[in-house]
Amino acid sequence: MRILAYLAKRLVFVIPQLLGIVLVSFLLVKSIPGDPAVLMLGPTATKEAIAALRQQLGLDQPLYIQFLIYVRNLMHGDLGTSWQTTRPVLDDLYQRFPATIELVTFSLLLAIIVGVTLGVLAARNPRGWIARVSDIYGLSAGALPDFWFALVLIFVFYTVLGWAPAPLGRLDVTIIPPSPMTGALTIDTLLAGDWQGFHSACAHLVLPVLTLGLVNAGPILKMTQSTMEKMLESDFSRYEVLCGVPQNLVVRHALRNALPSVVTIISVLYGFLIGGAVLVEIVFAWGGAGQYAVQGVLNADIYPVLGFVLFSAIFSLVVYIVVDLIYFLLDPRISN
Amino acid sequence: MDAVETMNKARSAPADTGKTPLIDIRNLRVTFPSGGAAPKTVLKGIDLAVKSGEIVGLVGESGAGKTTLARSILGVPPGPGRIAGGEVHFEGRQILSLSEAEFRRLRGRRLSVVVPNPRAELNPLLRTGDQIASMAKIHLGVNGKEARRLALQMLRDVQIPDPERRMDAYPHELSGGMAQRVVIAMALICNPAFVISDDATSGLDVTVQAQILALLTKLVAEQGSAMLFITRDVGITAHFCDRIAVLFSGEIVELAPREALFLEPAHPYTLMLLASFSHSPRLRDSWSVPDTSRRRELAAGCQYADRCPIAQPVCRERRPPFAENGPGHFARCHFPVRHG
Repeated sequence: MRILAYLAKRLVFVIPQLLGIVLVSFLLVKSIPGDPAVLMLGPTATKEAIAALRQQLGLDQPLYIQFLIYVRNLMHGDLGTSWQTTRPVLDDLYQRFPATIELVTFSLLLAIIVGVTLGVLAARNPRGWIARVSDIYGLSAGALPDFWFALVLIFVFYTVLGWAPAPLGRLDVTIIPPSPMTGALTIDTLLAGDWQGFHSACAHLVLPVLTLGLVNAGPILKMTQSTMEKMLESDFSRYEVLCGVPQNLVVRHALRNALPSVVTIISVLYGFLIGGAVLVEIVFAWGGAGQYAVQGVLNADIYPVLGFVLFSAIFSLVVYIVVDLIYFLLDPRISN
Repeated sequence: MDAVETMNKARSAPADTGKTPLIDIRNLRVTFPSGGAAPKTVLKGIDLAVKSGEIVGLVGESGAGKTTLARSILGVPPGPGRIAGGEVHFEGRQILSLSEAEFRRLRGRRLSVVVPNPRAELNPLLRTGDQIASMAKIHLGVNGKEARRLALQMLRDVQIPDPERRMDAYPHELSGGMAQRVVIAMALICNPAFVISDDATSGLDVTVQAQILALLTKLVAEQGSAMLFITRDVGITAHFCDRIAVLFSGEIVELAPREALFLEPAHPYTLMLLASFSHSPRLRDSWSVPDTSRRRELAAGCQYADRCPIAQPVCRERRPPFAENGPGHFARCHFPVRHG
């Protein structure tokens, strides 16, 4: 019951948070130089045509009127139209956002498995070889650009060894995409019972997931290691050792105490990677939301950018609410 | 002889019949690395034996090495400390040479410790009942239900108010006194042969302290366990310790039966300790030494020489022997104080 009250209290703040995000991102996107009307009509357009289009797009209105129009349209589920794809932004994002979320989620799962496991093992034996490997790994994962790592993986596993499929999207071209249910191809192909499609979707995920997963395991590893070391040196762990609690159990209890910090860094990474995966998306021609937003920024196509920011913000807010609920369940000192 | 003393005699009587001590610490040395220089010796060869059923007090000021001793007996010296030498014989085995797995099974089972500041020592995310029960589950091999039953019984034994509710309380919901009772319950649930109380009541107010001490000694006596009672307060030890050891700068400087220690202290440091608790201004003035903050490590000689009011040149040159001055009354001093 307490958890519902807590959730309600948390949700009250979501609407103002979203409004704030929309306002700030609107102002920022509007400050990008470049006139959409000029770009849309091309170099041969007449002044009159440009003026007419500006009027049609509402670009001649003052900024706050433009903002109010945007918000009013938002209420009706209209995120505007991308002039590049000439489709409603909502439709584009429905198609592209799941692709990014699928990629980022699998990558993060890999990063968690690698980072938390290595971090715990390293903290358990701070002078052991795993701790040394972890130090080097943490450093190099922080220093490696992910797109470079992606190119290395493509070179090794596609060009040289031929194990991985060509880095050209999410499915083999010979495979008919399943009808979109969730938008995540691994799930949609499974739902459609399309084993060949499922296999192809997984095969295409391997290299980008390896790239993002191994690079982003670095911060998770560092956070897990340092928090676990602190927890294992803390009074309660020492007391458990004095009480003859087996080491595995001491480590497990310490991990539970370290979990809030680890969950925090994971949630930050999750929100960040929605946009932060864009270079890897480009390298693998993933067709995700990050790529879509960058195209928008480069071509003064503001509605895709605003739509992307809005979707990412909602996604991050959901992640943070889930994280708060996890804290709530983990730590009795918060729930009381 | 009054009633209390008769009772104390009666309790300690069976202890004297055992020939071999329950736990025998021999020449225990613990060092701490000190960045490049020679490691600092924190325990300088501790010899101490405790018979079963006996309560031995260990008194020392902070920094004397009390906690280091408590943890080293359990094989886990604090911080970067290292057991550099010595033996601990317990129930017929030299436990410091046991494998970690074997030693782990002794801790909390046959040898247990009551820690100070228990609210920091309990795991903040686990219910107290589960923490107590886990001791029984780990060491006695009982199932979860039986462990919880034992834990609840133990909470009743430590006279915690409303034990059923405390089973489900988290450590931050307990008062200091209640948390101390929980830690005692954890130390005693497996019926250990030897309990180390490491300054267990520091940080509690005086009335709670008295209750906890009475409870701890009562339970230890009921279980027939022996106890090493470590404290900063020499006055507490007068109430229930059979023998008392005085620790100074990593050395036991005096070890005596209770009456002998209080009536005829042999080491000047002990006398100073007693004087500091005394109400007689004359005694306090004559033995308290103004310079107590400065402490110098003397490689050879008596550790106390710098602070000792009756130190002679020989005290700085030669380490005094641990000589017997009366029956069971030892002091490490070249010039033990004579009485009578």
